[in-house]
Parts: sequence; structure tokens; C-alpha cells
Amino acid sequence: MEHRKNFFKPKVAIVSLTSCEGCQFALLDLGERFLDFANKIEMMDFRLIEDEEDAGLKLDIGIVEGTPITEDNVKTLQELRKRSKILVVLGNCAAMGGIPEIKNYHEGVNTIKHVYKYIHGISNPEIKEVDNFVKVDFTFPGCPINAEEFLKYMPEILEGRIPQIPDQPVCVECKAAGNKCLLLENKPCFGPMILGGCNAVCPTSRMGCQGCRGLRPKGKVTAMRQALKRMMTDEEFENTTEIYGLRDDVEERIKSEK
Amino acid sequence: MDIKINHIAKMEGHTGFMASVVKGDVKSAKLEVQEGIRLIEGVLIGRHYADMPIVAQRICGICPVVHNLTSIKALENAMKVQATPETKKLREIMELGQIIHSHALHLFFLSLADFLDIDNDIQLIKEYPEETKKAVRIREFGMAIVKVIGGRVVHPLTNEVGGFKKAPNEEDLRKIVADSEGVLKEALELAEFFKTIKIPDFSRVTEYVCLGKRPNYSIYDGDIVFSKGLHIPVRKFEDNFQELQKQNEVIKKVVHAGKSYMIGAIARVNINHSKLNPYAQNYLESLNWKFPDFNPFHNILAQMVEIIHSIEESAKLLKEFLNSDLNEVVTKPYKVREGVGVAAVEAPRGTLYYHVEVDAKGYIKNVNIITPTAQFLANLEDDIMEYIPGILDLKNKDRERKLRAFIRAYDPCISCAVH
Repeated sequence: MEHRKNFFKPKVAIVSLTSCEGCQFALLDLGERFLDFANKIEMMDFRLIEDEEDAGLKLDIGIVEGTPITEDNVKTLQELRKRSKILVVLGNCAAMGGIPEIKNYHEGVNTIKHVYKYIHGISNPEIKEVDNFVKVDFTFPGCPINAEEFLKYMPEILEGRIPQIPDQPVCVECKAAGNKCLLLENKPCFGPMILGGCNAVCPTSRMGCQGCRGLRPKGKVTAMRQALKRMMTDEEFENTTEIYGLRDDVEERIKSEK
Repeated sequence: MDIKINHIAKMEGHTGFMASVVKGDVKSAKLEVQEGIRLIEGVLIGRHYADMPIVAQRICGICPVVHNLTSIKALENAMKVQATPETKKLREIMELGQIIHSHALHLFFLSLADFLDIDNDIQLIKEYPEETKKAVRIREFGMAIVKVIGGRVVHPLTNEVGGFKKAPNEEDLRKIVADSEGVLKEALELAEFFKTIKIPDFSRVTEYVCLGKRPNYSIYDGDIVFSKGLHIPVRKFEDNFQELQKQNEVIKKVVHAGKSYMIGAIARVNINHSKLNPYAQNYLESLNWKFPDFNPFHNILAQMVEIIHSIEESAKLLKEFLNSDLNEVVTKPYKVREGVGVAAVEAPRGTLYYHVEVDAKGYIKNVNIITPTAQFLANLEDDIMEYIPGILDLKNKDRERKLRAFIRAYDPCISCAVH
């Protein structure tokens, strides 16, 4: 009976690579609303709540969080892609490289020498985002993801459609929240060039946006950079874009704007 | 005979387990860590100090608050920045919220099913709906504390060196105080339920370590206290504890005088139980433990004790805080200075230690982070060596279940341990 009931439910797995697992916790933290979501699907793998081995069956939707760092991570990711009709990425690490990508901009693979005495036999690759390994169908951006956004778009994805996050800056939700603009106080904030959908959670706490959701398609990076010169040096700007793996995207966009 | 578990679910991070047994003798028992290296200490070197709390808290999605607070405390000590008493109080309340929600997650959603022979939480929730509701409400209470003060539960936003970017909303804080009574009642009911679960009888003598030597049950501040009597200031931490890395291993296990030791809820309850709040004290007495208690499975009950204590304590501190000027927590200007600073705070899983060196312009020269799981991992493996002989006669599947339950009772966080 249980099996029949599950027959028409979409099969979903939530898998993590190397990460803090904060995006999965953002989902769990929804409490009953996450359980309501879990009741609409057949959960094939979500190791935070179940001990049973994943049988490796076909999936309608594979959801992945984290950075592929170990060989196991890469294998897990590739297998998930093969099993899934739709592959969905959760959060900044998977989408943009996240905190681990900071090393790419500095000492690269030599960063390990600050941490370990014996480095032989430890996987220490240059950090590459998930879409360098497999095709990604949809990304929930952010560090961590906005769980409300997950609930908003998942019904569409469960029906097999790929949603489109509207191309609007963080500023739209920031104004709606009634915040004073940080930029008008000469406090650095990347809001105007970054994809909204986070409810402007950082500026609402008087923390300038540092771009964890990535550039919005129509974001004007050269102009933003110019405006920020009054409040931060080139080096400070570059450093800040490194925190969430934004720097490579910013450099590419500035080139294309020329 | 080899005992191998490929992957242990329902805990933070990725690990398996491997033990080798020859003629009933356990030759080795070891977690096989499958977590990648993010090199958090390495990527912090050369960065501006203001980035450190932001980057460091991303070590862990369950306990970001404690990484954030400990890095801020270490930086303040390095640059000789004084936080106001109100700021310190608000940070402590936040850490209590962190402990409440992390413990509620672990003891109910990660560990409990092991003692009821249930494989997944969907089934647990179906069979124990009333208990689930209570656990969810306790967890939500802890999360509300973090959210109201920090602006967000996973990776909070308001904390920084010197204080807070923004004072919390007074009405929101009053609501938490108002909710605390009901939540305390539910915690006491859930605690009674936890007394009815059957906890394996196993014990091995070890040494307990936690913060202490303060009038209250130390969480945010204190000296390092050992159960055998030694106590040292936090600045002597690295003289007394040694990080060891073996070839091919990504966790630097920590030992004291060459030996393993235990930290976390069970260590704190063993050392500081006389300082618990009244309801927590009562509950602990009803468990009839003889101190020192060396059953590692009791960590779960010790977490229950701490949930009760932390609800009482956070309500008490919040009332005090609400009687002060809330704006005293907002960061005031300070001078960036060259220096070396260390700090320790009690994380849900034990004492978290940070060491940082900053140059005159505020750029980081050196960082060392010693996490709770890296500290108790050697103790976990020593315990398991003694635990295995008692379960050798079981069928493979049952033995594996016992081992998973054992490892999970420790509440390890592999993401933290590797970082």
C-alpha cells in the first residue's frame, strides 16, 4: 500500500559534497513546512534524517550541495547527474565555489602548507564549481540558500519545469523592507549588481551585500565598481568579491562590458 | 575479522568506520573520514580581519554561532578591543540559543531513533508525534534566539569585532522571554520521555575537560578545567594540548599529555553540575548518576540537562539584558592594532579554541582553529576499542547498528573537525 501511494510521487534525493551543510539545515529549519514538502515527494536519499543506504535508483530530481573536492565527491556528483532527470544545485559552494574557492585567488594548491605537515595522499585540487563537472538545470543561490525561495520554486521543479529567478537587484527587497541604503552612508554594498531573492537579509542586519547569490544578468559591474571607489580601495573590492567566489565572474563581466 | 561501515548517516559531514579484530582482540578502530579539505585557516591568511568571523562561521552549518563568536573574541584579544558588558551578555545568550537548537537536533532527530530501533526520522515522527512536536518547539526556541539577535539562523549577520552592527528588536526579545516558560515545560516533559529509553550500559574511565572556574555554568568564558584537578588559563591551551597529524589523515587529532580526553555536554555536566540552574539540577538528580559518570551514551542525557539549563539561563540573562540600554551593544569605534589573541567558547560539542595573529593594518598573519570533534575523536576511538568486544557475538547487522548508535551518541561534526 505504502509503495502504491508513492508510485506517482516524484523521486528526490538531497546529497551533499564537501560543505558546512548549512543549506540542508536551512531546509530542516523550516520544521513542519519541510515535512509537508517531504510528504509530497518520495525521498530517496537525505542522510541527515535516514540511515538506510541509498539504493542508487533513478530519480526525478537530484539536489546537491557543496564543493566537489575529494574523488568521492566527484563520483557522487557524476552518479547523481546520471540518475536524475533534473539536477538542482543548492547554495554558493556548489554554484560559485564558495569559501573554499578563496584559495584559487591566492596561493592555490600551496595553501595546504599552512594547514598540514603531511600533504601526501590528501585530495587538494583547484576548486571548481559543480557545473564544471556536470550539466546543472537550476540553481538556488546564496550562502546559505533562502529556504523560502526553495519552497516557492520547488513545486514548479517537481512538475518538471525549470523556473526563472527574476532579474532584479537585492535593492528591490531592501527598499521594500524599509532599510536605509548603506551606500548612501558610504558603506560598501554590492546590492545593485547582485541577484535578489534573499529578502535583503544582510542589509536588513546592516551588513553590506557581499554577493553570495552571484551577479544578476543585467548587473552593471563597471559602473558599480566606479561608485564603490569612494568607499573601498581596489584591493578591498577584490578581496570582498573573493569571499563567495564572485571575483572570477566580476572580472569576466567587466571584460564583456568593455 | 574486519568490521567496516561505509558511510554513517545522520551526523554532520562524511565518514565511515573501520575496525580490525583478531581472535576477539580489537587491534584498531578508526573513523574513515571522507570529507574534503576546505583549508579555512589557510584561506584566512593574508585576509582582512573583518572577513574572519564571516569566513570562519562557514566551517559549520549547525554551529556557525560559536565559530563566529570565538573568532571575534580572539580578534578582540589580539587587537585589545573591549566589548561592553551588554555585548558580552548578548553573545552569551546567542550561544545558549545555539546550544539549545543544536542539542535538540542531535538528541531527538539524529540519535533518538538508534535507541528505539528505527531507521529513519519519517517513521520516528509518525510513531512519536507528541514528542516530535516538543522537540521541534524547543529547537525553534533556540533558533529564534539566534535569529532575533543575529539576523539569521544559519550564518548570522550582526556580530562583529567590537559589538553588533545592530541592536536586537526589544519586542522580539520580550516574546522570547514570554515563550520561555512554555518551552521549559515542554523540555521537562521531553526529558521525562528520555528517561524511558533504554541506554546501553558501558563505561570507560577518561578525563573530562571544559571551561570552568566561574560563578556560573561556563559557556562564553572561563579557564580550561580538567576533571582530575588541573586548571589553566586559555592562553596556555596550545602548551597543554597537542594536535597530531598522521600521513593521509585530514583531521588533526588532539591529545593531552599523550592521552585522549573527552569534552562536550557530558564533560561539562560532570565538571560543572553544581552550577546548573534549578530545573536542570533537579532533572540531573532524578537520573541518579554517580559522579564522575563515564558512560559515553549519557552524552545524550547530558545534552537534555543542558537544554533545560540553557532555557532557564537564556530567559534569566534576557530579562537582565532588557533592563539595560540595548544600544550599548552597537559597535563603537576602536583602533586596529598588531597583536596575538586566543579565545575559547563552549560549542555544543565542546570547547572550541581559536588563535589568531594580526598585523598593524589588520591583516591576518596566522590562524589556528582547534575544534571539539578533533579533540574528542581519539577518545571516541579508544572507547570503541573497549566497546567492540561486548558486541562481537551479535549478528553483523545488529553489531553495525550498535556501532552507529555509539558514534552518533558522541555527536561528532566531521565538517568542523576537518574544516
